[in-house]
Amino acid sequence: MILLPARPQRVALTLLTVSLLPLAVGAQSDPEGIPVTHTAVVQNCVACHTQDSTGRMSRISYSRKTPEGWQNTIRRMVMLQNARLQPDVARDIVRYLADEHGLAPEEARPGMFEVERRMIDWEYEGDEDTQETCKVCHSLGRVILQRRTKDDWTSTIELHRGLYPVVEFQGFRRGGPSDEDDDDPRHPMDKAIAHLARAFPLETDEWRSWSATKRPARLAGMWAVSGSEMGKGPLYGTLTVQRGERDGDVTTALEYRYARDGNTVRRTGRATVYTGFQWRGRSFEGSDEATALREVMFVERDWQSMSGRWFRGDYDEIGLDVSLHRVRSDPVVLGVYPMAARTGQAHTVTVFGANLPQDIGADAIDLGPGVDVRRVTSRSPTAVTAQIQVAADAALGPRDVFIAGSNMERGLTVFDEVHRIAVEPRAGLARVGGIVFPKQLQQFQAVAFHNGPDEDPETDDDLRLGVVDVTWGLEEYTRTFDDNDIDYVGAIDRNGLFTPAADGPNPQRNQNRNNIGDVWVVATYAGDNAPATLRARAHLVVTVPLYLRWEPWKVTPR
Amino acid sequence: MKHLRPINQKASKIEATVSRPDHDVRAMQGGSPGPHIPLGCSFVFSPGWEVDSTGGTAGLCQPVERDLFDCYITCFWPAHVPDHYNYAPDWTAKCAAAQQDWRNIDLIFP
Ligand code: HEC
Ligand code: HEC
Repeated sequence: MILLPARPQRVALTLLTVSLLPLAVGAQSDPEGIPVTHTAVVQNCVACHTQDSTGRMSRISYSRKTPEGWQNTIRRMVMLQNARLQPDVARDIVRYLADEHGLAPEEARPGMFEVERRMIDWEYEGDEDTQETCKVCHSLGRVILQRRTKDDWTSTIELHRGLYPVVEFQGFRRGGPSDEDDDDPRHPMDKAIAHLARAFPLETDEWRSWSATKRPARLAGMWAVSGSEMGKGPLYGTLTVQRGERDGDVTTALEYRYARDGNTVRRTGRATVYTGFQWRGRSFEGSDEATALREVMFVERDWQSMSGRWFRGDYDEIGLDVSLHRVRSDPVVLGVYPMAARTGQAHTVTVFGANLPQDIGADAIDLGPGVDVRRVTSRSPTAVTAQIQVAADAALGPRDVFIAGSNMERGLTVFDEVHRIAVEPRAGLARVGGIVFPKQLQQFQAVAFHNGPDEDPETDDDLRLGVVDVTWGLEEYTRTFDDNDIDYVGAIDRNGLFTPAADGPNPQRNQNRNNIGDVWVVATYAGDNAPATLRARAHLVVTVPLYLRWEPWKVTPR
Repeated sequence: MKHLRPINQKASKIEATVSRPDHDVRAMQGGSPGPHIPLGCSFVFSPGWEVDSTGGTAGLCQPVERDLFDCYITCFWPAHVPDHYNYAPDWTAKCAAAQQDWRNIDLIFP
């Protein structure tokens, strides 16, 4: 509170510094820079970003980034710099800039986790100082998905200092004079600029060669989909792609089936493929907005396959990992469910695929030595179900699967017993919510393993046997005695979905703590395939909401 | 814990915990295998936003609402809390809604 009177002055000052920037940089004289040829960009931006005789515009011509990166910049132009744009013009501008001031596939691939919104633990190996200085507020993914001239990296750092003065103390500058023994007395931010200018320059061979060959991807046709969803297991299906109104736009019709529960999902959607390879789409079940899934995929340059993540949730936490392959008329095998079969037993297995022949018999399905295919009990172009018998003395390990001339490596694993289970993910994060902010959920699943030939758990030769049914529970994770987090944090359901408790101070807790805490998520497997009950657990942090989100669309500051 | 005998309740609890077979005690020991938090969390401004420096929630400013106004005013957490300098000068006044919120306009996904 006492801080308030001092602030407004500071605001005026910092905004002033920031708005002087483009003018200063307008005088850029280096030979680099991408000329702008798009009328809407020139018209809407030239008032503040001068254009030189070769068409280069200050700031705009000196960086390249993903569609998400351009969206972030354009939003800031509107929200802070007073650029006046209609959303559809802004969309067009983002598209032009993502296409022409974009990234090459090789440049985008290492940062896919960022645009796919995966919550992963990721280390930047390029430079430790840069990692330390730049990862504290946002993921380093945001940084590695940009290319800039040295001047432009410097301006970005200046932007941070202008917008967020405390960033100086938070790590951009050293606290005091440099240590005598320190052989590199520069401030952390100066080290970062030097590294970024070298590692992520505007001009690269990758971009030069991609610019020469880049074109709108032609993806129309049939695609086989295989994927998996945490807690629900594998899914298989097909995606039909049709050309949209504009080059690079498509419409889609999708059908897939979850192998475990047989549930079939039908969706229709649309997508734009930016820079010739960055698929950004959205699909719905029927016309129900609540079922929307956003799609982020990387289209390989041969246009034969693409992969990525489809996601939803207020924090993008629910998602499917997918990989798609173009199909023509040949049969294709995508997967076998269940993916593992125990020795000495009869099983019903389903082979999922595309273009599977309709006259297929048991003799056209080869699951390898020791696995006898007795008869086919149902067939469709996308799934064939068969009765099999695994010999008591069948060798353990994965088998290649052949069906009607098509194959899948390591499609079915033979095992004798389940040795252990593991909970995935091993570490989870949820956020309390539901009152003022949305909840961030965390889905877990339990996977069975055989220890493999070396008989040791958690080694490379372990056999993964697929997702199994378990009972779920929570246990206290001892950090502080008697904080009894499990009484407050929330609950896990029978499918492994953790739903956190409400946000806000809890008067029932010591010092009105929020309903946050650390707990173990415990899975117990009592299935027939293990000689005794098996247990495994994962660490779950239930923490506070984000009061501000940069990317998703629903959550606004209140 | 062989040479010490707990003489009060808390000490008994510590002993019971330390001798548990599942090696749950890890708070100060570091180097233990197992999950690594943060997964994209900020633990850096000791304590961080989501987790403290040990990767847990025990050391966070609590309740978070107590800290919020300060975060907003100093813009200490610009990626977590709206900041008063730039984007949300009237966040606390609850009258920002009149303007179209560009943060909610999706420019990429068709
Ligand atoms: C009213 C003035 C104004 C208009 C109009 C404007 N900008 Fe800016 N722009 C700025 C200022 C001030 C900065 C420096 C501070 C910042 O980055 O926010 C800037 C910075 C930028 C940057 C560098 C930011 C970075 O970190 O990459 C880019 C790129 C940019 N603008 C693009 C555009 C585009 C594209 C348009 C047209 C749609 C546009 N601007 C319209 C004022 C403006
Ligand atoms: C104090 C927190 C904080 C730190 C530390 C930080 N950033 Fe940022 N950064 C932000 C925020 C908040 C934004 C979003 C700004 C906006 O668009 O208004 C951002 C945006 C960016 C952008 C996108 C700008 C654009 O328009 O394209 C880049 C690039 C970036 N940061 C790079 C860095 C680098 C490099 C470092 C380390 C030297 C760093 N950041 C450290 C908070 C931080």
